[in-house]
Amino acid sequence: MGKGQRAIQAYKATEFIEQPRDSDGLVVGKGDPFKLAPRTSASLLKEQSTVEALKAKARAEAGPKAPAAAEEHHESSELAAVPTFILVTTYLSYLMLIVFAHARDFVGKLMHPEQYVQLRVQNGYAPMVSDFESLWIRRLYGRIRDCFNRPITGVAGGHVTLLERFSTDHNRSFQFTGRLRTVLNLASYNYLGFAQSEGPCADKVEAAIREGGVTQASTRSEVGRTALLAETEDMVARFVGSEAALIVSMGFATNALNIPALVSKGCLIISDELNHSSLVAGARLSGAAIRVFKHNDTRDLEKQLRRSIAQGQPRTHRPWKKILVVVEGLYSMEGEYCNLPKIVELRRRYRFHLFVDEAHSIGALGKRGRGVCDHFGVDPREVDVLMGTFTKSFGAAGGYIAGSRALIDYMRVHSHSAVYAEAMSVPVLAQVSSSMRMIMGEDREHALEGQQRLEQLAINSRYFAQGLRDLGFMTLGEPGSPVIPLLLFNPAKIPAFSRECLKRNIAVVVVSYPATPIITGRVRFCISAAHTREDLDHALQQISEIGDLLMLKFHKGVLLGGPAKAE
Amino acid sequence: MESVTTFVDAAAPTAAAALGDESKRGLLRTAWDFSFRLVLRYIKNSYKDDPFRTFLEACLIGFIVWYMAKPKYNIGNNEVELTEKEIDELVDEWRPEPLVPALTEFEREVLDKAVMIDGPNGTRVRLASGAGGGKPVLNFGSYNFLGFVDSEEMAGRAIETLRKYGVGSCGPPGFYGTLDVHMKLEKQLAAFVGHSAAILYSQAFATTLSVIPCFSKRSDIIVADEGVSFMVQRAIFLARSKVYWYKHNDMADLERILGDVNKQLARRGKGALPRKFIVTEGLFQNTGDIAPLDELVALKHRYKFRIILDESFSFGVLGKRGAGLTDHYSIDPHEVDLLIGALCNAIGASGGFCCADKDLVEHQRLSGAGYCFSASMPGILTVAAADAIQALETNPDEYLSALRENATLLRTLLKRIPNLQVDGAATSPLIHIRLAPEALVRMRRTGGTWTKEDIDRVLIEMTEEAQKDGVLLTRATYVDEHERILPNPSIRICVSAAHTRKEIEKCASAVKSAVSRVTSKKR
Repeated sequence: MGKGQRAIQAYKATEFIEQPRDSDGLVVGKGDPFKLAPRTSASLLKEQSTVEALKAKARAEAGPKAPAAAEEHHESSELAAVPTFILVTTYLSYLMLIVFAHARDFVGKLMHPEQYVQLRVQNGYAPMVSDFESLWIRRLYGRIRDCFNRPITGVAGGHVTLLERFSTDHNRSFQFTGRLRTVLNLASYNYLGFAQSEGPCADKVEAAIREGGVTQASTRSEVGRTALLAETEDMVARFVGSEAALIVSMGFATNALNIPALVSKGCLIISDELNHSSLVAGARLSGAAIRVFKHNDTRDLEKQLRRSIAQGQPRTHRPWKKILVVVEGLYSMEGEYCNLPKIVELRRRYRFHLFVDEAHSIGALGKRGRGVCDHFGVDPREVDVLMGTFTKSFGAAGGYIAGSRALIDYMRVHSHSAVYAEAMSVPVLAQVSSSMRMIMGEDREHALEGQQRLEQLAINSRYFAQGLRDLGFMTLGEPGSPVIPLLLFNPAKIPAFSRECLKRNIAVVVVSYPATPIITGRVRFCISAAHTREDLDHALQQISEIGDLLMLKFHKGVLLGGPAKAE
Repeated sequence: MESVTTFVDAAAPTAAAALGDESKRGLLRTAWDFSFRLVLRYIKNSYKDDPFRTFLEACLIGFIVWYMAKPKYNIGNNEVELTEKEIDELVDEWRPEPLVPALTEFEREVLDKAVMIDGPNGTRVRLASGAGGGKPVLNFGSYNFLGFVDSEEMAGRAIETLRKYGVGSCGPPGFYGTLDVHMKLEKQLAAFVGHSAAILYSQAFATTLSVIPCFSKRSDIIVADEGVSFMVQRAIFLARSKVYWYKHNDMADLERILGDVNKQLARRGKGALPRKFIVTEGLFQNTGDIAPLDELVALKHRYKFRIILDESFSFGVLGKRGAGLTDHYSIDPHEVDLLIGALCNAIGASGGFCCADKDLVEHQRLSGAGYCFSASMPGILTVAAADAIQALETNPDEYLSALRENATLLRTLLKRIPNLQVDGAATSPLIHIRLAPEALVRMRRTGGTWTKEDIDRVLIEMTEEAQKDGVLLTRATYVDEHERILPNPSIRICVSAAHTRKEIEKCASAVKSAVSRVTSKKR
């Protein structure tokens, strides 16, 4: 199955909410299903917003073009047409930055050698950080440090409160003004809006703390296993549709400390090239051989599988003991889903073991929020190891490994996290279990809220992504993905976008090389069920202005930007 | 997209056309003709003068063409050419091992008998399962050295924090996950330890796992103690540096290796100087020993190494103020280049931290994998840690003298028990106990040898006996196949400042009766 087809399928899969829709498949404002949600009701009663009105006008002019939406989107996600001009200027900009970085270092070392003492061998000690390694951080990252690590206070919900800060020494240090600024949060992984300090979940957490204290000060395999932990593990297993689950107190460690229990020397890991750093750490710690296949390219994966199985281990030609294919459900930098149906098909043919990291997809994808399996309608038992985190959709922390009972029993004895790492704390466990119960509709008092949040997220994500595309921006990702990357390309636009957003009271995440390929610096929006239509409209309006300012509207926009504006 | 292409086309100007294409092309042709004629004349002349040379040159050119066109091979790749059909057959034939092997009978038993606690995990706990199900027992298994885990104030503060910060931070520190309380705790930690700066990680294991590979790279050198905990072993493995192991706490052996390493480097001569580290633990998790930091610092200066010290178990425990090993030896903490600590043990919160120079801490904010790529610590746990350190700072004696008294008392009582071997430094609240080797020999009916599993079974029996007497003990668990040197099986007893004298005595007597009961049985 080609990517285009998959995109269409994904598009269809999210189309579950029976709502009056316009020709693009977007829910029309008035018939919104979230009348029930008290948080959003205010925005829904509001008359059609500015964007809404403009869209209606544009629609009237454009006429029906329903099936085109998915195709069009697919094209952009392939980065099919990066404008040559942008390509050239981006590379030139980086070249200039690097030349200037070296020049500044050269002059600096001549004029102020005392400032570069850390980079030289002194007193027989090698420098802790090598000159070359730190060049990027000192000279490039240093210029835009104000866009990262912005401190906050309170809950990172739909809105977030920043501590205002400024720098007088070119971002080397920051001073605080003491003022607070509440801004719209398009950055946190709060997909279902469970980052809350009040409400039913917080109440459950409070009760749990009163009953069970805060932490364990022991590991799961010694005396850190509590009744609450065992209960929550069972619930997680039920939620993801597997036989059993193991809970780990940190998301990064879930991968880094559990993969080594699954594979070792003589085994092979075939990993997607864009896999998260924790998966890379886990793979390296396992001692297994590692091969990488092209991002989301199942044809390349199959090629690698055939080659690996046929050739066996290098030099000895002995067959691999086992092969573990590691993919992510939703790639957080791309907003793309893995092609699970095809991978599962390959798994049947090639008998490898499949590890799916659902760090971002669990809770956020699928009709019932059960992640990428739910989204594609794949039986979770077709995936050998389901891994996920609670940091994102559940507003908690830590992660889990789920699978067959035999697997989890083995992990409970042999996993590094179960034997050596601290057990999960009580408030985090309570947050996981209460939010999960709500999503599953098992919380009687709030039986509908979980489903509402899921639907709200799906609608918000598609509304926002469509809005950006209609404005003429170049976005990545698949329809329905709550992660929406918008391409900025030029390095200068990266901090500019972030600063402009902050000026307009919007918090966004910008990412560039080395986290992304050098050319595709981007801003990444994370949509939440906690966002109201007003929030998103406001954001689109502001981002549109920034887009004009930074010349980011590469497509012929349907509304606001591009030629439509010239009219 | 249309607009884009037209834009680019427009940008490629039609200037070239204006240049007069015709004349340019003509000029090129003339130049080409001229050079071609020149070459032809040269060949003709040389053939006339020396036909053999022309033949040789032609052969040489032929060889170069053949050599360049030949398929490339790289060393180490010995892949066999296979047809698609053969590959299909091989794929059909391949039978991989199952993802995980089945549990052994013993492992199954361990899993079934695992302790489950109901309610707070303090010095007194209620068991939900296990031999003493339902009744309250004294807990000597948690690393709750200072008794912060079940403090009432801590729970109250946690609820207060919950109402302000919620639970999860929903993002890594770089992306709006840095809370004001994180920055406050980092400052507090740096001041408490006496170092320049500190950085917080959200799990103790991930702290060590991030810090060591962040600075020690492939070309660098690590000299590490053989007795370090599993966390440190894994971090060293992940760093991929050249590793030398010295005998546990043996400074003479360490000095020998340091000397050898420096000699080797001197012999190698020129080239970039590698970073050199001594890696050890403050209070050893696997033995309860304390590292001789004074001697380590002297060696560090003599041989120009840096020290990475894992204080996961010594932070909050050792020293007059409880600030760890540097406090214990009254050594300037700056002598330790990277000081790693845990907040999940004595402090009773969660996560870990690294104290270092300001530059090195800032470097970790981008290069420390566990910091950069993981969600930050929940606010509740951050405030819990801050409060605990505050309490320890204002009233060190209340916690630490009680802890030391309890530890010394229990150690003395345990040492009196026959057939029992008690390990660890005199003041260490982390005590490993084992059955003495001679007792094990006596317990064997037919003089057979003891496997690790046999000894583990006896230890489990001991913990069960102790549980019947109302004392919760735990066997030190390891992932046997991944430990570099598997420590001798033992029961790890953790003393807390919150234990009373009576409780300590009860623990000792429970151990005593457990030992006598298991040793009286012949196996």
